Amino acid sequence: MKFINFNIAWRNIWRNKLRSYVVISAVTVGLFGGLASTGIMKGMVIDLVESAIHSQVSHIQIHNEKFVANNEVQYVMLNSSQLIDSIVSKPDVIGVSERTMAFGMASTASKGLGVMVIGIEPDNEKTVTNIFEKIKDGNGEYFKSKKRNRIVIGEKLAKKLNAKLKSKIVLTFQDYEGNLSGASFKVEGIFKTQNTTFDEMNVFVKKTDLDKLLLLPNNTSHEIAILLDDEKKTKSTAAIIKHLIPNYLVEDWTEIDPYLNLSYSMTSFMLLIFMSIIMLALGFAIVNTMLMVVLERTKELGMIMAIGMNRFRVFSMIMWETSLLAIVGGAFGILLTVIFTWHFGNVGIDISSVGDGFEAMGYGSVLYPVLDFIDYVEVVILVMFTGLIASIFPTIRALKMKPAEATRS
Amino acid sequence: MKTVIETIDLHKTYTETEVEVKAVNGISLSFQEGEFAAIVGPSGCGKTTLLNLLGGLDGPTSGSVIIDNTDISTLSSRKLIDFRLNNIGFVFQAYNLIPVLTAKENAEFIMNLQNKSKAERETRIAELFKAIGIEGKENIRPSRLSGGQQQRVAVARALASKPKFILADEPTANLDSKATTELLDIMRKLNDEEKITFIFATHDQRVIDRAKRVIYLDDGKVTKDKVK
Repeated sequence: MKFINFNIAWRNIWRNKLRSYVVISAVTVGLFGGLASTGIMKGMVIDLVESAIHSQVSHIQIHNEKFVANNEVQYVMLNSSQLIDSIVSKPDVIGVSERTMAFGMASTASKGLGVMVIGIEPDNEKTVTNIFEKIKDGNGEYFKSKKRNRIVIGEKLAKKLNAKLKSKIVLTFQDYEGNLSGASFKVEGIFKTQNTTFDEMNVFVKKTDLDKLLLLPNNTSHEIAILLDDEKKTKSTAAIIKHLIPNYLVEDWTEIDPYLNLSYSMTSFMLLIFMSIIMLALGFAIVNTMLMVVLERTKELGMIMAIGMNRFRVFSMIMWETSLLAIVGGAFGILLTVIFTWHFGNVGIDISSVGDGFEAMGYGSVLYPVLDFIDYVEVVILVMFTGLIASIFPTIRALKMKPAEATRS
Repeated sequence: MKTVIETIDLHKTYTETEVEVKAVNGISLSFQEGEFAAIVGPSGCGKTTLLNLLGGLDGPTSGSVIIDNTDISTLSSRKLIDFRLNNIGFVFQAYNLIPVLTAKENAEFIMNLQNKSKAERETRIAELFKAIGIEGKENIRPSRLSGGQQQRVAVARALASKPKFILADEPTANLDSKATTELLDIMRKLNDEEKITFIFATHDQRVIDRAKRVIYLDDGKVTKDKVK
């Protein structure tokens, strides 16, 4: 009987082809619109997270807890080379970089701006961040020169300071003893990440140069950044390092940048909310259609109840019919989305013409839609659920019929 | 002869309108196995109401309908549906076939509801289609059949589950003379040869002429019960 219910339901939806096409198209377009938008949003956030991890925060960072709270240079981590040695030996670690950091002023003849001066060991830094890849041809080099006091700055800062390659920039900051210190640096490279705010706020110099100016004790640093071979291992590796280095603050990227983590975890939740609203609207359209169907088939439904079809079977038949409208529309919507995300996931959607605002927020100017299998599973469940819920009202209407009256109507 | 259906002081009063309507007013009847009976009378006399009460499509205000020692007026709606499914065949005025199913699928619909096996269905439907003369029309949908052919499929559907009796409400009302004669010939043949009980509600003289028993109704009461 299950087969015959399905069979009748399937044939019934093609009785009025135009009406069914309209409902199925509405479900298809609604689902595709919702899924594609969510895919774009998810792709943007994944890109934002990837970019942030590889150009800024890395997977794990270690600090002196007081440095995180105050950003004052005297709060260093001691014996940092020994700390690094103990971390490098861990299996999932693919890069470690120690940094010295000081908040100060970057000034040219025309302007001065507040920046974070980051002292790095270029070869080690290359294993953790990809800033060296963000220097386009013609925009200089990433610390190739062996000479002292070279600086790599962001494109946006260069514009604001009116600085070019080989321009001199004076950095001033407070040293380890609390005195004002500074020096002149020559621009060796100009980078451009997809986050223009980051480019404006951060400058890179060699750690050896900055350590001298800050008068830091030997073998100290403010930050140790760690990159892993797999983002999924972040929590477990962070726990191991926390155990290994109990005196300093060990944080993973979700703790370092909670906003980034929020954006990441919100996408799946947003998908559910977004799709629920769309399916709710489509559910009303389906209910309306099915009510018309029940009204049109009063006599037929009365007859099948008269000859012995019980309420459960009537419910099952109408439920199948309602669900099939949602399922067929849903299948087409998902198919369109799969094609869309596959195509644009590879070639990307270029929004560079309107991308300035996005870049300031750290998003790329080319969007790559991403949807995981579980996202499709969630939507399939939602479609089935909508079909089931939408079938209840028309079925109640059908079950209220009295066979004797319905067959006479 | 075995009694297949019996009514005892059956009443059906409609109170939905301002004026109380006594559609069936104290009818006591019994039908024996193998009867070919017609319930006749003017419009509004209570023919269809009585037929609906006999078939359990409607419940009486008072009185009983006893089928096979079961008072169906006391059954819950769920049990009544099952009872109808297994004991009563219905033929409606407007055929009421399911338009998306083929003739064969329509005929075996009740057997499907009864969860009969495919082999059993195939055998029974082939037998019935031959008996009612619509062999070769198995895979045609109702919209492509004539009115007479559709009503024959409806008869096949009613007979498929081997019910205790068939209730037919104005089965010839939408048929032309030829189709009516052919349909009545088939029903009468089934009645004569297989002792299938038919109870009609009709005002068609051709049906009345072929009936073995004619029950006249007026104002919800039996005015005459004539066995030919």
